[in-house]
Amino acid sequence: MPRDAEPSLSERTFVTKALAEGLRVDNRKFDQCRPVSLTFGDEFGVADVSFGKTRVLARTSAEVTVPYADRPFDGVFTITSELSPMVAPSIEPNRPTETEVLLSRLLEKTVRRSGALDTESLCLIAGQKCWSVRVDLHVLNHDGNILDAACLAVIASLRHFKRPETTLDGEVLTVYTPAEREPVPLSWLHSPFCVTFSFYGEEGDIVLMDPTWLEEQLRVSSCTFSLNRHGEICQVSKLGGSAVDAPLFIQCAQTALSKSKEYTELLERKLAEDAKSRDKGGLMAELTAENDR
Amino acid sequence: MPLDTSTYSLALLRVDGRRWNELRRLHAQIRTQAAADGSSYLEMGHTKVMCVLTGPAEQNQSQRRGQTSGGGGSARDTASINVNVMIAGFSSVDRKKRGRNDKRTQELEITIAKTFSSIVHTHLFPHSSISISLHVLSSDGSLLAALLNAATLALIDAGIPMSDYIAACTAGSTSSHSASDDSADPLLDLNTQEEQELPYLTVATLGSSDRIAVLNCESRLQVSRLEGMLVVGVDGCKQVKQILDRVIREKGVQMIREGAVDRSDTMVMDLDE
Repeated sequence: MPRDAEPSLSERTFVTKALAEGLRVDNRKFDQCRPVSLTFGDEFGVADVSFGKTRVLARTSAEVTVPYADRPFDGVFTITSELSPMVAPSIEPNRPTETEVLLSRLLEKTVRRSGALDTESLCLIAGQKCWSVRVDLHVLNHDGNILDAACLAVIASLRHFKRPETTLDGEVLTVYTPAEREPVPLSWLHSPFCVTFSFYGEEGDIVLMDPTWLEEQLRVSSCTFSLNRHGEICQVSKLGGSAVDAPLFIQCAQTALSKSKEYTELLERKLAEDAKSRDKGGLMAELTAENDR
Repeated sequence: MPLDTSTYSLALLRVDGRRWNELRRLHAQIRTQAAADGSSYLEMGHTKVMCVLTGPAEQNQSQRRGQTSGGGGSARDTASINVNVMIAGFSSVDRKKRGRNDKRTQELEITIAKTFSSIVHTHLFPHSSISISLHVLSSDGSLLAALLNAATLALIDAGIPMSDYIAACTAGSTSSHSASDDSADPLLDLNTQEEQELPYLTVATLGSSDRIAVLNCESRLQVSRLEGMLVVGVDGCKQVKQILDRVIREKGVQMIREGAVDRSDTMVMDLDE
């Protein structure tokens, strides 16, 4: 099994000493994030998120399937994340690494368990037909903080996605193509976002946001909060690592809340921009025989 | 599942008759398995866990290749900690088949391994591995907390140097996730029934300090409630630490009495108490 190259001793000392003096390697402030970019693809449900050099792509798709026997009134909702060897040489295909397990568990807890998507609205005929919504997550480049980027990409992709309109007439289910009827967005309840804090120093009292890969390798522990803009925590995970003073978590939760509001604002703005660019002036504009000259 | 915990507000008693700040009966034993380097058995209410520890021992081939360090220092200069959690099929009410690659169990394993990698003085045992195998015999809430406590006891039994105890417990809140519910009480040490209905978190602290090693929450709760739950959780951990400490001391006294260990001159412990 190949392993990641660890930072050399001199790199390690340099970064940690600089942090103790209040400096980061890329001259950001401790709570300053890298520029976030969010773009949508031509298709509905494709979202591309990058935090500096970290880049994540999420794609949502839907198909009609049979619901699970034990939950006849719920649709199927799955999030699959796969880290390919493209991300880092240490990752082998078909063998989930620790990062991958934690990433998929985090998305599971943040998006699925918190009930962000109303799965009951995906049911078409109880016990017989339902939508299966699937999000495929691809990490394209790993330069630290993939958890936050992945979560933002998944939420953005689901919010952007539109499924085909359906009607039920007696026993006949009709699925319309986008040309026949305008596709409908998913029934969405709330948007949680992940915010990760990395702790440094002997006491774990130096708190960094949005670390790069080098900084991430050197942290003593980390804590991920998932919140929506209403101040509801969906998930907190500090899975081991050095112990950190309790009051620090309360501060982190507040910072995470304001960060989550920022992400919400960014997503709403981008969604509005995207909707505007897609709007060709409605049906009348589409049906005219006039050409641009 | 009927909402049984909704009766809490009537008498301020929980489903099993406890007050908000009471732990369940915590019973623990160490040195239960003669063949192991360290072993423990722990009950938190009806949650029953057994821990068997081997090591520090020489790493086998697969561990040497696939070693992941818990942070700090090159991986080869420290002992690796491998955790294996086995949840018995008969441990919960509905018999559930869990595969080897169940992500939830894997997450538990990773959490426990990472926690102890930063507490145990792994730099004293280069090129070696410590394997902790945890068996869940009965599961009734606070599973992660019970596993962490059992692993702490087994590590102490094996005589592996570590900076302090890891003491863990859960804390919950009687509120739903709506913000308006002001009369909500925090709760300590939840059982399965409460875990299914109420928001809760697992806290593990380093000894009896306020420093948190593990904080895990999987349910929706208001940000303003976090502080209250955290305070109750940390307080619970201090109680748990006292109990664990007592178990260790009692076993030590017993072993000296039986002559299994020589009494040293530097020992200040009073055996007569």
